[in-house]
Amino acid sequence: MDQRVSSYVLDVPERDLRKSTSKRFGSTLSSWVDRHFAVLTVMPTLTVTILVFGLPLVLSLILSFQGWNAQQSLFGGRFVGFANYIDLFSDPQFTQALWLTIAYTVITVFLELAIGLGVALLLNKDVPFVKAFRTALIVPMMITPIVASMCWKLLLDPNYGIVDYFIGSPLLWLGDPTLARISVGFVNVWQNAPYVAILLLAGLRSLPSEPIEAAAIDGATRFQIFRHVTFPLLTPYIVVALLLRTIFEFRTFDNVWVMTGGGPADATKLLSVYTFMTSFFAFDMSLGAAASWIMLLIVFVFCVLFVAASRRKENAL
Amino acid sequence: MSVATSRRKRLIGISLTYFGLIMLLVVFIGPLLWVLGLSLKTRAQIFVTPPVLVWAPTFEHYARVLTQADFIASFMNSLTVTSASVALSLVIGVPASYVFARFRFFGSGAMFYTLLLMRMLPPVAILLPIFILFTRLGLANSRIGLIIAYTTFSLPLIVWIMRDFFEGLPNELEEAAYIDGASRMTTFLRIVLPLARPGIVTASILCLLLAWNDFIFAAILTNNATRTLPVLMATYAGAETGTDWGSMTASGVLVVIPVIIFSLMVQRHLVAGLSAGSVK
Repeated sequence: MDQRVSSYVLDVPERDLRKSTSKRFGSTLSSWVDRHFAVLTVMPTLTVTILVFGLPLVLSLILSFQGWNAQQSLFGGRFVGFANYIDLFSDPQFTQALWLTIAYTVITVFLELAIGLGVALLLNKDVPFVKAFRTALIVPMMITPIVASMCWKLLLDPNYGIVDYFIGSPLLWLGDPTLARISVGFVNVWQNAPYVAILLLAGLRSLPSEPIEAAAIDGATRFQIFRHVTFPLLTPYIVVALLLRTIFEFRTFDNVWVMTGGGPADATKLLSVYTFMTSFFAFDMSLGAAASWIMLLIVFVFCVLFVAASRRKENAL
Repeated sequence: MSVATSRRKRLIGISLTYFGLIMLLVVFIGPLLWVLGLSLKTRAQIFVTPPVLVWAPTFEHYARVLTQADFIASFMNSLTVTSASVALSLVIGVPASYVFARFRFFGSGAMFYTLLLMRMLPPVAILLPIFILFTRLGLANSRIGLIIAYTTFSLPLIVWIMRDFFEGLPNELEEAAYIDGASRMTTFLRIVLPLARPGIVTASILCLLLAWNDFIFAAILTNNATRTLPVLMATYAGAETGTDWGSMTASGVLVVIPVIIFSLMVQRHLVAGLSAGSVK
């Protein structure tokens, strides 16, 4: 593809083009814009990204190696080496948040993929009205996470919530540590399993039909077809969905913040909540910056895997 | 005989499929309908056990919410911030995506993958330094600060979707335009952009969702005067005295209705966008 683009660029007779444009518009400005078109159009994106992403990232990296508070000038902190990082890893609250986040991410992503795959297979059936069901499934993921969490908080209310009414006993969904973890994870799975389903449905629809038909003619059962033909063909899509969801589950914040605020007794204090509270409630900016960078490094590893996986899929297809 | 059994088998298969589909609706849409129902009940009906299933809907909560100055102010803030950031990020991001799709130059690959990485950043991990910088620059507590933040977060999204889209467009038309002597800018504005409309619709819904639904940036970068709807909703949901379920559910519905209507209107593009970049 690089070939195509470069030959396309080279094919255009640059000098003739420039002559004709300047004849037409009679301006040197437009030919100047033309010659620097690529640079000029990429520049704004590049500038904004460097200023609003790059600069803050560098700043927080510097802060994470300093003892700094909001009263000091921007670069007036004292260099403390790895002290903030050492502090973090000797803080049981942080290590608990780290392990909790890992467990939370693994479990929610697994459930999202399992449910998403099931739903995708169901929605892939060509029965009348199946399109309407596909449309309906888009709705949960469009909903503002804060609003979805608020709705579930009401549905799970021990006194007047409909869930406890059906169960028949007033369970304290958000008051009990274990139940609170389940509730918070459930809301995430509920909102995002449809997203996985749509990704995998797109994958299923793009699979070649020949191998599946061939297996059917050879007398394979439906389960055998799924296990030995459909699933292997779908694997690249599943890997991409897995990595995407891992990256996004890892940052979970909104639903925890609204439903439990990290409680009860820190039972749902994920890494994001820990970082948020350290930065904006305890106002320990340096420690918050160090926690931010640990999150960034973990996500970075998954991003590298993601890029590798999506490139391999592109090459495979 | 065998025809009859295979027909029966097929019938059972179809019934099972519909059973599964209906269960899907119950699990994924049912809770939302229940909340919608709550917003249409009187205060007394909301707290009755067993729950009321048939009632004459009342719009009293909607009337109350829509006359609340807080809600209206936040709604306008959300509207301003969302539309401004979507427009701005399209103007900045779409031409760049075109260049990433059509040109190769020194560092273009590195730039593209760096942008993708930015999309993956956990917002909470970049929130603190942005807060510090924006406070020093006087951008904290203003809508402008929030617009800048959302625009920047939308750019990777736009480039991700639009580069793929531009790569899918045939470039014969562009070549023809060059040969006819059109400048690159004219070709881009007159020929490429009109063809790219479906992609732009997709990209703008995703950016719209990003800005309209975001909580964490708005929570830190706004104050009571400039806060957006999710921040206001969080104060409703978080308050221990939050027993006014009527207002909570009615305002929740009002927050999500515009987005849902819009999403369903452009559903096809939305599905394309959700799977863009990850599924080709």
